[in-house]
Amino acid sequence: MHDQLPAALPKPAPGLFWNPYLQIFLTVLLTAAAQILLKVGADSSTAHDSLWSWLGLAELASWWTWLGILAFVASFGGWLYALRFLPLGLAFALTNGVHIFVPIGSWLFLGEHIGLLRGGGILVIIAGILLLAQSVAKAEEKV
Amino acid sequence: MSLLAWLVVIISQLALVAGQIFLKRAMSRREHGGEKARGWISILAIGIAAMTVWFLLWLGLMPRLDLSKLMPFEGISPLLIVLGAAAFLHERLNWRGWAGVVLTCLGVLLVSAS
Repeated sequence: MHDQLPAALPKPAPGLFWNPYLQIFLTVLLTAAAQILLKVGADSSTAHDSLWSWLGLAELASWWTWLGILAFVASFGGWLYALRFLPLGLAFALTNGVHIFVPIGSWLFLGEHIGLLRGGGILVIIAGILLLAQSVAKAEEKV
Repeated sequence: MSLLAWLVVIISQLALVAGQIFLKRAMSRREHGGEKARGWISILAIGIAAMTVWFLLWLGLMPRLDLSKLMPFEGISPLLIVLGAAAFLHERLNWRGWAGVVLTCLGVLLVSAS
């Protein structure tokens, strides 16, 4: 990766808000919110009998689904911005942070239980994200 | 999980990987500026179209399958994207990057297994 970074990727504007990693973090938070809203919307829909219903159109009848879509669209802006400055593979792997916030949000808002396995999984994801962060730091050192 | 469900899951994952690669292509092209930047909006539109297909299929899967059945596929998607980015965008990760991707996927699998 480090042999490609300087030539292919531009530098972001100064300021914390324009940091592509912060934008990924915001994307992750909004996506987690979107997933939970979509789940609530999907659970409130009932018709799943025809082949067409695989397209998830019935779920569009719920306001929760539309709120979820709104959160998804909002997260998209931050994602496109981050893609200008970061390699796709790395940026996408960082969005795994969603799986830290979805269980926590599901626990807070949907009353789902976080067991030992789930808690352990969250810790493994955090370890993975720390490794990814280190890989970026090392790559930028070499530039 | 039925055959149809598998098929829908596979198509949705393909749409996701293709969509993200198009989005990245579009944003990189836009950065070049001038002549080279032309056409980035069309590429972005293709990416958004692919993401819309992924989104609608995913939405359709949600009420049919438990989230715990769906999440493993969500879990391996970073690995698929890294492989796709290596093949089509010539991105390279160092060993820490690979280890990080594998660990996060593993973590997602654990979260969804519970």
